[in-house]
Amino acid sequence: MNQTKLSSLEAISLVLTITIAHTVLSLPRILLNSTKSATLLNLLYVTGIVILLAWLIYYCFKKFPGQDILDVSHFLGGNILKNIVGSLFILYFVVSSSILLRNFSQSIQVIYFPMTNVTFVILFFIIAMTIVNYLSFHASFKATSFIMPFAIISVLFLFLANIDNFSFSRMFPLLGDGIIDTFITGIGNVSAFCGISVLYFLPPLLKKPENYKKICIASIIISAIYLFLCVATLLFMFEFFISNDELMPLYSATRYIEFGSFVQRLESVFLLVWMIVFVCYLGITSKISILCFKKITKIKYHKPLVLPFSLFMFAITLLPKNYAESIFFENTIFRYCVWFFIFAFCIGILLIANWKMRTNKKEEIS
Amino acid sequence: MPLLEKLAHFLTWVPEKDYEFYLPEESSTQPVPEENKTQQQAIFPSVAVNLEYVKTAYNTMLNSDIVIREFNILARNRQYEAFILFIDGMVNSTMINDFILKPLMLRNSANSFEGEQDRVIAEAVTNNITVRKIKKFDIVSYITSCLLPQNSVKQVHTFSEIFSGVNSGNCALFIDTLNVVFDIEVKGFKQRSVSQPQNETVIKGPHEAFVENLRTNTSLLRKIVNNENLIMESVSVGNITKTKCAICYMKNIANDDLISEVQYRIHNLQIDSLLSVGQLEQLIVDQNTLGIPEILSTERPDKTSQYLLQGRVAVLVNGSPYAVIMPATISDFMSSTEDANLKPYFANFLKGLRLLAAFITLLLPGLYVAITCFHQEILPTELLFSILPTRQNVPFPVIIEILTLEISFELIREAGLRVPSPIGSTIGIVGALVLGQAAVSAGIISPILIIIVAITGIASFAIPDFSFGFHLRFFRFIFILLGFIAGFLGISIGIFVYLCILCNLKSFGTSFITSACTCSNKKSNDYFIPPIWKQEKRPAFLSTKKEKNQEAISMKWKN
Repeated sequence: MNQTKLSSLEAISLVLTITIAHTVLSLPRILLNSTKSATLLNLLYVTGIVILLAWLIYYCFKKFPGQDILDVSHFLGGNILKNIVGSLFILYFVVSSSILLRNFSQSIQVIYFPMTNVTFVILFFIIAMTIVNYLSFHASFKATSFIMPFAIISVLFLFLANIDNFSFSRMFPLLGDGIIDTFITGIGNVSAFCGISVLYFLPPLLKKPENYKKICIASIIISAIYLFLCVATLLFMFEFFISNDELMPLYSATRYIEFGSFVQRLESVFLLVWMIVFVCYLGITSKISILCFKKITKIKYHKPLVLPFSLFMFAITLLPKNYAESIFFENTIFRYCVWFFIFAFCIGILLIANWKMRTNKKEEIS
Repeated sequence: MPLLEKLAHFLTWVPEKDYEFYLPEESSTQPVPEENKTQQQAIFPSVAVNLEYVKTAYNTMLNSDIVIREFNILARNRQYEAFILFIDGMVNSTMINDFILKPLMLRNSANSFEGEQDRVIAEAVTNNITVRKIKKFDIVSYITSCLLPQNSVKQVHTFSEIFSGVNSGNCALFIDTLNVVFDIEVKGFKQRSVSQPQNETVIKGPHEAFVENLRTNTSLLRKIVNNENLIMESVSVGNITKTKCAICYMKNIANDDLISEVQYRIHNLQIDSLLSVGQLEQLIVDQNTLGIPEILSTERPDKTSQYLLQGRVAVLVNGSPYAVIMPATISDFMSSTEDANLKPYFANFLKGLRLLAAFITLLLPGLYVAITCFHQEILPTELLFSILPTRQNVPFPVIIEILTLEISFELIREAGLRVPSPIGSTIGIVGALVLGQAAVSAGIISPILIIIVAITGIASFAIPDFSFGFHLRFFRFIFILLGFIAGFLGISIGIFVYLCILCNLKSFGTSFITSACTCSNKKSNDYFIPPIWKQEKRPAFLSTKKEKNQEAISMKWKN
């Protein structure tokens, strides 16, 4: 059954997809707004912290080979904690991806379908996600690994093609609003690495579990490089306060690409790639949510859950009354959720479970 | 079904019984379990009863080509009643006359020799006791070894075996008092000789193709592989036709689980008739999802041999000039036999072109519709200016325009295939003239669309595998619709779903996209081929018994 498991590259692609989906929307703008011209420096600093956290996650899971966060929660607090953690993860994945879908659909609607109701745009994504979820569990994960290189190339191309429009002086002052804003309050930017949430579910899905450490570190480093390219492109091209008004800052940057008079206005090609990445993201989050639900309810088959989950996500997508509400969720609530739930709560569970494991072993020996 | 029951069935979910087979990473050497043979009617000792049975079974009153020749056999100066059974037109009459009837009927030194009844083979005397080893007279072995000067004589015991032999051109010899029948090979029907491949032509490479005769096809493979480890298992498929198939594999290379799986699927086909390889292909694939081919079919013995030597399994069907090869990945459908004969630079260049051709076939019309309807900004201004005037006079929306032209193109292609070859070219000329020149002059269709459809059509013919090309041509209509409905949004969603469907496919336990997937590109799984001296390993996804294809240094003469 080795073919149903994930290779290291597929696993890294999963983590990257989540980061890229957020980056396509307003993540670079949020980073730029919080740390201004010091964003690149802050990103390096935050990357170091996240690498440490990723290593911590790997270290904690080392004592629980082949188990995910739900199994560890079960070990620590029985079924109750397992159900709580599982439900929180479902809520996190479903709500965050639904709201992100709303924002993305709204942006697509503004750009290409101004006369169309946003519900139709959302429905397109939901239908694709449902079809993909009906396929085997591995299919969308494998497809993601195909698409990921194109997404990375697109941003690399965006960076290189816009070099002529860069004004490198925009990275000064190097410390932005000061050391405190860059290194103390700027720690909040670890939420940019929200893809780390997938790492909690990877150990039982891996073809080679011994590569887990490599996957944790590599996925963070590649995510960091990707974020660095995106932020650098925006920082060098725009004044950060101007980019505030844009729906999708990266999309704005694509408009400036031109090679002679023939190759111009390539934004729709970029959007084509990013839309595919976004459907990948939806496929991954919904599949992990279904996996969580299946595990906490001990249901044998996942297919009956596909349609209810799709409808649930569709309903949540329609909840925000307007774009402002959904952007508020993405900019503010989501950041705190990532902070407290993904980094603090889950790592806390892993650490306590490790402590419990050590105590149990000591008791057994004595 | 009552309404309530229907409603309950609609509201409840019943798990599908998915058939799961995965090719293991490690090759197992478990012996293949023998199939349970059904009880079959044994031969009767009385020749009269056998004659009646045969006449009834073959409906000799109705069938004019069934020949039963009754005669008396002369063996050791004794006469036995006998008859031969064969089908006129399928046997070589001279062989029957000269090598069956003459030796058996006419008096000669062999059948008139009486000799000793029980021949003493050895004799030993111990303590005044003589011990003799005596060979009892056995008429069956006597007939086989003395009276039938034929190279292939089998002794069979059931009627089904006899009928199987007779149906394939053999002659059955029934003799009174014996409960055994001689199945003598005297095949002599007319068949097509080995000729050039019609659909898979190459420039540098052999010009031999399979024919309809199974034995000729197996001999073609034997000739190329030239190794005793090539196994060709014979299987009959179909309750009525009992079509002979041959499962071919290299026993020292192919994975045992793969062989067992192919045997299992073919042995478990409960069908009345099997008439072609295409039917067999549909009957043994894992999933028939959206018509994506999962088994490779080829008319080339060299291509089949190449795959057999990689560790795959091929199946030949009697009456079909094609072999099916399994498992197959997407890369196999994009490969041509020519690739192996070319230098890797050129072969990989061609493979790259074919990849481009596949993308064009699948996406170009859809992208054109999407750009025309939603994303005009992507077109450079100069190009836009040259396209606009050509579209101004066209009365139809772009979707009608493209669908009309695409369907017309498919019609021309289909008509060109079906009409006799001398007027095939006429169809092409008429199609090109009427649909191209006339439609543009009449202002029904824009010239740019003609270019798009023509490029798509040419690209579709660059796909080496007909089935895969067909699949892409069919799917482009879906992308046209998606492009029309939602532009690049529809296209992107279509691409993702299509990619997921490809990733979901399996061909005999191996992932369909193995060779194209960046994450599994190891051990010769690549889409692009390395130089021949670097092709050291067999594809990893086949889990073969012999991993290495050649030595690390294959060109030892250089050292």
